Amino acid sequence: MTIDKIQDGAKLKVKVSGRLDTTTAPELEDDLKKSLDGVEELVMDFSELEYISSAGLRVLLSSQKIMNKQGTMEVIGVNSTIMEIFEVTGFIDILTIR
Amino acid sequence: MDEVRSRQQDGQLTIELSGRIDSGNASRIEEEVFAAVGDYMGSRLMVDVENLEYISSAGLRILLRLLKKHRKLRIINASSDIYEILEMTGFTEMMDVEKAYRSVSIEGCEVIGAGANGTVYRINDELVVKVYKDADALEDIRRERELARLALVLGIPTAISYDVVRVGDSYGSVFELLNARSFSGILAQQPEKMDWCVKEYVDLLKLIHSTRVPKGKLPSMRQIALDWARFVRDYLPEEEGEKLVSLVKEVPEDPHMIHGDYHTKNLELTGDEVLLIDMDTLAVGHPVFEFASMYNAFVGFGEYDNSVTQKFMGFERERAGEFWRRSLKAYLGTEDEDRVKEVEDKARVIGYTRLIRRSIRRGGLEDPERLAEIELWKERLIQLLHRVDSLVFTGSRIRLEATKENLHLMNDFLEKELEKAGCSVREKMQIQVAAEEVFINIANYAYTPNTGEAVMIVDVEDDPRTLVLTFIDQGRPYDPTKKEDPDVSLPADQREIGGLGIFMVKQSMDDMAYEYRDGSNILTLKKRLVNE
Repeated sequence: MTIDKIQDGAKLKVKVSGRLDTTTAPELEDDLKKSLDGVEELVMDFSELEYISSAGLRVLLSSQKIMNKQGTMEVIGVNSTIMEIFEVTGFIDILTIR
Repeated sequence: MDEVRSRQQDGQLTIELSGRIDSGNASRIEEEVFAAVGDYMGSRLMVDVENLEYISSAGLRILLRLLKKHRKLRIINASSDIYEILEMTGFTEMMDVEKAYRSVSIEGCEVIGAGANGTVYRINDELVVKVYKDADALEDIRRERELARLALVLGIPTAISYDVVRVGDSYGSVFELLNARSFSGILAQQPEKMDWCVKEYVDLLKLIHSTRVPKGKLPSMRQIALDWARFVRDYLPEEEGEKLVSLVKEVPEDPHMIHGDYHTKNLELTGDEVLLIDMDTLAVGHPVFEFASMYNAFVGFGEYDNSVTQKFMGFERERAGEFWRRSLKAYLGTEDEDRVKEVEDKARVIGYTRLIRRSIRRGGLEDPERLAEIELWKERLIQLLHRVDSLVFTGSRIRLEATKENLHLMNDFLEKELEKAGCSVREKMQIQVAAEEVFINIANYAYTPNTGEAVMIVDVEDDPRTLVLTFIDQGRPYDPTKKEDPDVSLPADQREIGGLGIFMVKQSMDDMAYEYRDGSNILTLKKRLVNE
C-alpha cells in the first residue's frame, strides 16, 4: 500500500493505492490521525485501491466519525468490486461516495 | 494355380487370394472362396490380398457377395495397386480395407521402454517403434492411437504414431521422436539435471490432472482400482480387506485425466519439447491413483528385490526414491514432511494393492521367492490400512504460524491458487477478504495469549465449479457461524468500530460450515465460481 497526500489549506486529498488489509491498515490509521487536525474537507481517492478488508473499513469508519465532527469526507474512484463490499456492509450509506 | 488358401486361428478365418483374378477365373475362384469360408459364422473374417496382383470387376463381385453374408469382412495387406482399385470402386467405403504393412526389423535395436502391452525400440535417430505382444496387436494399436489423439486434442503434448509396421509375427506402431532422450536416460547420465527433470515432470503432471475429459471417453480409474481391491480383499484378513474396498469406494469419481503409468521412461525430451508416450493406460480419476503407479515405478516394485528399480529405471534406487519424494513435494507445493508422508501413504495403499494382485495373477503364489515378495507388500498394506482413513487428499494446503505478520504469506499462496482456479478479479477479492478475516481471527483469538498454527486448504470442486477453503486450527473452540450479524443500517456514529469481519466472510462466500473435531476447529467456506 502507498499513501499520497495533497494538502491545500483545510482541504486534504489522500490517495491510497494497493492493498488495504490487516497488515497495512494501521499505517493509514496512524497517518490520518496525524493529518486530520484542522482538516475540513477530506477526499479519499481509491482509484488505485485494489483490495479492502474489514481492517480497512475500520479505518474508513473512524475517519468518517472524526470528519462528521469537523467537516466533510468524500470517497472517490471506487471500483465495482470494492463498491460491492461497501454495499453489503452498509458503508454505502455511511460514506459519501462520488 | 492355388489362388485361394485359408488359415484359421483364434476364431479368426483368413482367406488368402493371390495372382490375378479376372473374368477368366472368377467363377472358379468364387466357388473356392465360398468353400473355404464354409459355414464359418464368426465375426472375424479377413481376406488377405498380400499376394494379389490384379483384380477385375468380376473379382470384385466375389468380395461383394462375401460382404453380403459377412458384414464385418475385412481386407488386409492391400498393396498400393490393389488399394487404389478398391478405393476407386468405392470398396474402401463399404468395408474395412487395410493397407499392406511394411516390415521393420528390430534386430540389434536399443530397447528404450517396456510397458504392459509392448516394448519400445529405437530404430534410428528419428524413429522408434512400439512392438505389441498381444495377438490382437492391431486392435491395441488402434486403441492407443485413439487415446493419444484424444490427449493431444485436449492439449497434452504427446507423440502419435503415424504408421503401422510388421515386426516379425507381430505389429508395431512407429513414432517420430527426433533425437529423443527419456527422462530416465537424462537422470542416469546427468544427475545434476534432477531439479530440471522434477520441475518439467511435475508441470506436465499438473497439466494432465487439470485436463477435463468429456464423459465416457476414458475408463474410470476408480472402477479399475475397485476391481483390484476386491481381488486383493480375499487375500487379506477380513477386517483389513473390507476396509480396503471401502476406502477405494469412498474416493469420488473425478473427470480429470490421469496417465496411469507416469514415470521417467515415459517422458521424452525432443529438442526443447517434453513429450508424453505410452498412452494405453490413460484414464480419468483422482490423482491418488496416479501417485500409486508412480510410487510403484520408483519405489514399490523394488521393495523386496532392490535391484528391480535399477533394472527398470536405468538408475539407482536411491535416486529413484529421491526423484519420487521431490516430485511429490513439488506437486503438493509443500516442504512439510508429514504432509508428504500422509499423501504417500494413501498412494501406497493403492500401489501395494495393485502389486499384490498383479503378482498373484501371474502365479506369484506358487513361486517361493515371489511369495515372499507378496508377503512383504501384504504386511505393509495391512500396516497402512490401520492408519489410513481416507485415500483422498485435498488440493493445496499451507500450514503456518497464525500471526498478523504471516498474513501476506497466506495471501501470496492463496492468490496463486485462485489464479490457477481461474477466478475473476471480483471472485478473487471476495475470497481473499473471507480468508483474511478468518486467518486474522485465528491469529487474534484462537491461541491467546500464545500463538499456534493454522492450516488453510484450497480445493476446487466440479459440478458446479466451487472453490472450497478449509481452515483448521487447534485453538480454543469457536464457532463463527453462531456470531450475530451486525446492524449494517446504522449511521456512522452509532456503528461500532469492528465486528464486521465474520459478516464479510458470510457475504463474500456462498456457504460457511463449522465443525469441532478431535481438538480442531474446522471451518469450511465455499464459493461457486462463475468464470470457467
